[in-house]
Amino acid sequence: MSLASAGTDRLRGMRIDLKTAGPLVALILLCVLGYSLNPLFLAEGNVSNLLTRSAFIGIIAVGATFVITAGGIDLSVGSMAAFIAGMMIIVMNWAVESMGVSVGTVLLGIGCSLILGIGAGFINGFLTTKGKIEAFIVTLGTMGIYRSLITYFANGGTLSLDSDARQIYRPIYYDSLLGIPIPVWVFIVVALIGWVLMNRTAFGRYCMAIGSSEHVARYSAIKVDRVRTITYILQGLCVSLATIIYVPRLGSASSATGVLWELEAIAAVIIGGTVLKGGYGRIGGTVIGALILTAIGNILNLTEIISNYLNGAVQGVIIIAAVYLQRGSFRAGRKKTPAQ
Amino acid sequence: MSEATPDGAILSASRVSKSFGEIPVLFSIDFDVRPGEVHAIIGENGAGKSTLIKILSGFEQPTSGSIIYDGDRAVLPPNGEAEARGIVLIHQELNLAEHLSVTDSIFLGRELHRYGLLDLKTMRERARAILDRLDVRVDPDARISSLSVADKQMVEIAKAINRDARVLIMDEPTAVLSVAETKTLFEQIRRLTEQGVAIVFISHKLDEIMALANRVTVLRDGQLIATMNTSALTPDSIAQMMVGRELSNLYPPKKEPDVDAPVVLSVRGLSAPGISNVSFDLRGGEILGFAGLIGSGRTAVAEAVVGLVVPEEGEISLNGQPVAFSDVRESLAAGLAYMTKDRKGRGLLLNMGLEPNLTLATLPKHRRGGFLTASSEHQALERAVRRFDIRARDPSVGVGQLSGGNQQKLLLAKCMESDPDIVIMDEPTRGIDVGTKQQIYHIIAALAAEGKSVIVISSEMQEVIGLSHRVLVMREGRMAGLLEGAEINEAEIMRYAAGVKQGEVS
Amino acid sequence: MFLKQVTLALTATTVLAGAAMAQDEQVRIGVSIPAATHGWAGGLNWHAQEAESRIEAQYDNIDIVLVTADSPGDQASDIEDLISVQQIDALVVLPFESDPLVEPVRQAKEAGAFITVVDRGLPDTSIQDVYVAGNNSELGSVSADYMMSRLSEGDNIVILRGIPTVIDTERFDAFMAGIEGSGINVLDDEFANWNRDDGFEVMQDFLSRFPDIDAVWAQDDDIAMGVVEAIRQAGREDEMFVVGGAGMKDVIQGIMEGNELIPVDVLYPPAMIATAMDITVANFTSNGPVQGEYILGAPLITQENAEQFYYPDSPF
Repeated sequence: MSLASAGTDRLRGMRIDLKTAGPLVALILLCVLGYSLNPLFLAEGNVSNLLTRSAFIGIIAVGATFVITAGGIDLSVGSMAAFIAGMMIIVMNWAVESMGVSVGTVLLGIGCSLILGIGAGFINGFLTTKGKIEAFIVTLGTMGIYRSLITYFANGGTLSLDSDARQIYRPIYYDSLLGIPIPVWVFIVVALIGWVLMNRTAFGRYCMAIGSSEHVARYSAIKVDRVRTITYILQGLCVSLATIIYVPRLGSASSATGVLWELEAIAAVIIGGTVLKGGYGRIGGTVIGALILTAIGNILNLTEIISNYLNGAVQGVIIIAAVYLQRGSFRAGRKKTPAQ
Repeated sequence: MSEATPDGAILSASRVSKSFGEIPVLFSIDFDVRPGEVHAIIGENGAGKSTLIKILSGFEQPTSGSIIYDGDRAVLPPNGEAEARGIVLIHQELNLAEHLSVTDSIFLGRELHRYGLLDLKTMRERARAILDRLDVRVDPDARISSLSVADKQMVEIAKAINRDARVLIMDEPTAVLSVAETKTLFEQIRRLTEQGVAIVFISHKLDEIMALANRVTVLRDGQLIATMNTSALTPDSIAQMMVGRELSNLYPPKKEPDVDAPVVLSVRGLSAPGISNVSFDLRGGEILGFAGLIGSGRTAVAEAVVGLVVPEEGEISLNGQPVAFSDVRESLAAGLAYMTKDRKGRGLLLNMGLEPNLTLATLPKHRRGGFLTASSEHQALERAVRRFDIRARDPSVGVGQLSGGNQQKLLLAKCMESDPDIVIMDEPTRGIDVGTKQQIYHIIAALAAEGKSVIVISSEMQEVIGLSHRVLVMREGRMAGLLEGAEINEAEIMRYAAGVKQGEVS
Repeated sequence: MFLKQVTLALTATTVLAGAAMAQDEQVRIGVSIPAATHGWAGGLNWHAQEAESRIEAQYDNIDIVLVTADSPGDQASDIEDLISVQQIDALVVLPFESDPLVEPVRQAKEAGAFITVVDRGLPDTSIQDVYVAGNNSELGSVSADYMMSRLSEGDNIVILRGIPTVIDTERFDAFMAGIEGSGINVLDDEFANWNRDDGFEVMQDFLSRFPDIDAVWAQDDDIAMGVVEAIRQAGREDEMFVVGGAGMKDVIQGIMEGNELIPVDVLYPPAMIATAMDITVANFTSNGPVQGEYILGAPLITQENAEQFYYPDSPF
């Protein structure tokens, strides 16, 4: 049979649709469930809250999609976010004391966040590629380091942003543009850029190649270490962006900030159809995964019929069901493909 | 419907058909194997050999037809029950856990226990006994990862013996073995048949089949062409049955290269892990063969030249300019391409479709303004499919699903995407059928005719002889000799490769 | 540091009768508490360190060894080390969880140490010599009394709870018992895990769900901080007030300044660890008996009395 006929194109289109459909179906079912339990679920205010909330995990998960697709893992993101948030607050408070409050204070904090995020990502990448240590160990190590550092700088308590600086910074979380909250805009832009990077640039293809087989990538003229390191830097950048919109929300950071975000981000990535062992990444799925995770918590808060003690169980069931839907479609796709 | 078992057969398939979804791959095949017999299955890639042996060993269920084992109609489940009943399949890609020891591997899933704990001592003793019986010099405590491919194969056979295999099915066991290793394997197989074990054997090498098999079954496009006694066949007649046409001119006629053509690649005193002091020249339009036993360092030379391994010493110059590549990207940009012999482990991303594989090494070519252009990649694939005759039912399906021949052609296409002036092909026809081999040989000759230079590394001596203008023979990491013209013959190459003769180094 | 102090020649300046040990003997007190993983525990660590330096400065012969643990298992190992390596004479322990720490603490007791248990009681009270705790039930009932003083029949409140544990249940049950019969309507309760972010998100959802909320019982100051942000975001500051708990310095500062959104707080002080350490020291230095239970009150902090609960240097 010859290639590239109309028939095969149609077949390919169908399969991609099936893969996308899994998480999307799960999200739609979840929305239907949410609406039926409490019609307020789809009220404008709640939808806006939900989207804004999903932005943190979502933005971090976009970065995680690249790391995981290239066969890595980053467990440090939650601690990294707490650490960056703490350092931003310290730097901005220092700036307020020495120079007074201005928009520049906030810009300084944002700049500090970007530098720290990129730097932290680079350290993770450098240690895994040049140091040849498993990503799991490296990021487990940096996870503990960042968590301790924030506890140390906060003296075990909470770092709070100067109240005048907060007034300037506050709109970044609480204001809207064209009716859409700013964090959601950031999420949308990050997701779009992520999608283009993953699907329309050589870099994205290289990530998938490295995740599928590092050997093949190396034999195919790909600079494996450099691409891997860039994935961790992207992850750090995403954590930094998430932190920039997180800090104005409560204006504080403590050792309790960002706890378990790494697992939520990884869960969002996997629910979205990216393969945990690497080689196949889907940004669109990750966005849906982040929405599903946030929606579960939201629905549980909006309803009284489920015992509070069972919240964790409900989350677990929905996560597993979402992944089952997505894998189910994988299987349907595979059945069409004969061996040899 | 009768399901009579052919006389004396221990395992037989009766009118077995198999379809994957809509696509039929086997049509009503009859097959049987008797105790103490070697029954070879031969056919082009995609003829249905692998599917047939998977059905015989329970890994696939037939769509229709039946399997008769030991006189009874049997349903062999894929969960290893077939193995427990004495039907053992040794996969082409050996199925050993790299981190286990030889003993662990032989007893995997059949561990001996004593007082509820593993009885390590008895297992080690028995493993040693089996290995001794096979005359294999392998330490029962050695890690699988430390063994050569040939030894791993022997461990697989030892494992089969330990399971009291009554039917042993081997999928291309010799594809990665050297001549000497193949000889040892055949001795083991003969020993097993003397003990009454029935052997089903897939190979592409006609001479091996003539030497080993009692009967041959030829498949073509999922159809049973014939089952005949080997004594009634010649290699030519088998080849004809396989391809269904006359096979002439396996190798294209050699076109003499221009002796005045410039030297495009010059290597002097190259040393790297596994090789020392290798020097040679490659001229424009020349095909230089690299012969030698497995492990003689031919691949190491290629990897050092293209920058996959950093050379310890030596100079490499390209068109007279000294170069030192530190990764493949640089050598590729300089017009030098290397096609790995390990197409599944290092050549292709098995879970991805044809297109991403084809363009992986040359993606920057398909960028416009930093973004990949799908149409440009589509065109590249269409061109490659035409040029290299790659056949795939669905180009988006993972290339792991393709037959070996089509994978190899895709790998060749990928390698040629960078439009190199010099191509190093490592085992370009390993494990592929005669028809595809012939296509690849013609492609290689055509490249040389265009003025490109080709290095062919091959363990198939016929291939080196049939293609090369000159042949460099390697032994134990060093150059043993360089042959030209009439010197290029099997006996002479063997003398250098085995160390009987040591030639001057050019 | 410890070795140096052991070699110090000590002379008794005062002679105390009746104490378990004379003051010229070296006394080592082990203090085992959870690590500073959330605000309240951060305050706990700060007050423990403050007390350590204060006590060591005051008494030459008392040496305090402070260890922090990340999990109950970790804490059990810490206590074993305190017994075998440090050879402690007394143990002040704030158990991560009650049940898993019974045996390690019993071992310390059997090794001859004086045992002071803080906050989370052990199920077997025969092990302890002294028990110091805040009063979770009182925290609940004081909060309930305040709610009833400001609200009337038919008013609506929402409750944000902590982490499902005994502490949380005691507070919640006492609160519910306190408002029973008052006609105050509890719209819903959800767990917010003693965490600001969770407090913010749960309160956002309460705000979208319920158009009429008159008060919020957050029973913890970290949660209350998140709740306040959510209320501000919704612009509903004028509709309701929030009652937290613990005595976080930011909240107390707000009360001193007359913040109307969080007008009061109910004390559940992390400084109780200092109380426990002082009582333990007194066992070695005072002639009065110290054995028994010390239950700290959970007073209502209002603008009038806020200043005495304000520790500006504490991280909490």
